[in-house]
Amino acid sequence: MTTGIELRNLRKLFDGHGHASWAVDGVDMTIGAGKFVTLLGPSGCGKTTTLRMIAGLEIPTSGQIFRDGQDITDQPVTDRDMRMVFQDFALFPNMTIEDNVAFGLRVKSKRGAYSEAQIKRRVAEFLDLVHLKDHAYKKPHQLSGGQKQRVSLARALVTDPKVVLFDEPLGSLDANLRKIMQLELIRLHRELGKTFIYVTHDQDEAMAMSDAIAVMSQGKVMQFGTPREIYDRPANRYVASFIGHAHIVNATLDSKEADTVTVCLGNGDRVGLRGNVDAAPGSAVGLMLRAEDLAFADAGADTIGGKVIDSLYRGEYVEYVVALNGNSGVVHVHARTDLPPVAHGLAVALKVNPVKAHVVVQ
Amino acid sequence: MRAFGNRTLVTALAMSVLAFLYAPILVMMVFSFNDSQYTGLPFNGFTLRWYGELFSDNQMLMSIWNSIFVGIGVVAISVLFGLPAAIALDRYEFPGKGLFRRIVMLPIVLPGIITGVALLSFYLTIHLRLSLYTIMLGQGTALMCITITEVFARLQQLGKSQAEAAANLGANDWEIFRQVTLPGIRSALFGAMLIAFSISFDEIAVTFLLTGRENTLPMTLWSLLRREVTPEVNAVATLVVFLSIILIVAGMYSSRGHANEREA
Repeated sequence: MTTGIELRNLRKLFDGHGHASWAVDGVDMTIGAGKFVTLLGPSGCGKTTTLRMIAGLEIPTSGQIFRDGQDITDQPVTDRDMRMVFQDFALFPNMTIEDNVAFGLRVKSKRGAYSEAQIKRRVAEFLDLVHLKDHAYKKPHQLSGGQKQRVSLARALVTDPKVVLFDEPLGSLDANLRKIMQLELIRLHRELGKTFIYVTHDQDEAMAMSDAIAVMSQGKVMQFGTPREIYDRPANRYVASFIGHAHIVNATLDSKEADTVTVCLGNGDRVGLRGNVDAAPGSAVGLMLRAEDLAFADAGADTIGGKVIDSLYRGEYVEYVVALNGNSGVVHVHARTDLPPVAHGLAVALKVNPVKAHVVVQ
Repeated sequence: MRAFGNRTLVTALAMSVLAFLYAPILVMMVFSFNDSQYTGLPFNGFTLRWYGELFSDNQMLMSIWNSIFVGIGVVAISVLFGLPAAIALDRYEFPGKGLFRRIVMLPIVLPGIITGVALLSFYLTIHLRLSLYTIMLGQGTALMCITITEVFARLQQLGKSQAEAAANLGANDWEIFRQVTLPGIRSALFGAMLIAFSISFDEIAVTFLLTGRENTLPMTLWSLLRREVTPEVNAVATLVVFLSIILIVAGMYSSRGHANEREA
């Protein structure tokens, strides 16, 4: 028996005016109890539809959803006891903040579970948890966006669900507020120990908060792993280019040994890296290079030759744009600001951090 | 904001439009208090005699009551059938939905006389005796589309996430309707009820064909006016004007009360 949520070959067909398409196309995933898992991807990748299927707001075309080993695919939304925090907050405008939060405690299916005094106490406790104690008797339209989102959060948490679902909850907030709310969510996850399943298109948000990230594209999971795995060891070109502005240079696999790989670039430069790759020598691969993993060096073995074509002063560092020799592509390099500037047009050699550089096959 | 064109000219234009619209009503109201047998000048002095006569005229009082009775019935029919129809249109996919949405507007586009003739021949075919209830049924089916369109528009504007949130929190269908959907559409529903009532109150084309022995107010006034415009007619019309103003203010108040809440 697995605890947590398990998705098995989950699919959802959307019938949009004549031509049907798979919004979710075979998602398999196991989300451990108490974990913070993020579904990450661009709009239309099926992340929200997957979340809505877990919640029971969308009926899967095929596939199964398990919870603690039990098939809940056909369980109605009302009985699932997973609470959702919506992007547009979805507060009830005619009710006070207190009544909004108490809603899930007062529904008929919970009748008798709490006395009115207990409800009052519990609601006050959770309004305090999201720092909204003084707003209990206001109506939703009197609150700011960030406050509304916190009410929505309190309303979801107050019923003590094991699983909390988030559908881009910070999408409509400004950047500063988003950062504050991210910290709040991490704190709540740590303190409450519930399973959080979170949907976002913002990779920084996903990286900062999650125990694991599922990178999605066109209804499929491209990679499911910890933020570190996704960032350092992307499974394919899609994940590599989606996460953290990586540049992918076309290369050929030269040779591989137990834990080292050598690739050959279009211009004949060879680079040795740590790690392993699932491809035979001679096959075409992509070399993933991130700006922070490259440094200027003296020409020699294990360096890549190129020419500086642009530079941007970023304050923290200087970002150089380098065109690689032999038309192999363009990479960005971060250099310390206290070093003498490199002139445009200058031929340079780049040293690759052999631990951080990574080879992708697909 | 900069004034549009010549200020005096614009004001004069606006005033004359208002005068054109409301002067006749004002004249009628003034004459309802005139101490004279005839509608017209000179103004002989202030009197409430015509109101007194109105309230002792059983035929007139009966027809006012009939109109209110029919109006209430029409509102009940239009809500009873229009509200579920609007919810069905908003929430469910069913075959012929697009056609239904368009066809539902037909009664209000069709001339009343056509609806009236159609209903009359239908009632005669099934041997239904003409009465206030046949009027109610005729107007109610025609005015149902107001509730459907008003409430449907509001439901579309509200979106489905509030109802989804309620379901997600464990509410059953009735709790969702009662605590989330109904408060959201209340002002639209109330507005539609007011419109349906006021259209029903002065409807004459359909009513004319479907009336049995009992007359509604417009029918009574119609038959009185064929002789002359009596001060009593002015008096009853004045009362109707005040009733309308009350309804309009109530409608405005209810929609303003919910304007803030809707955007939350």
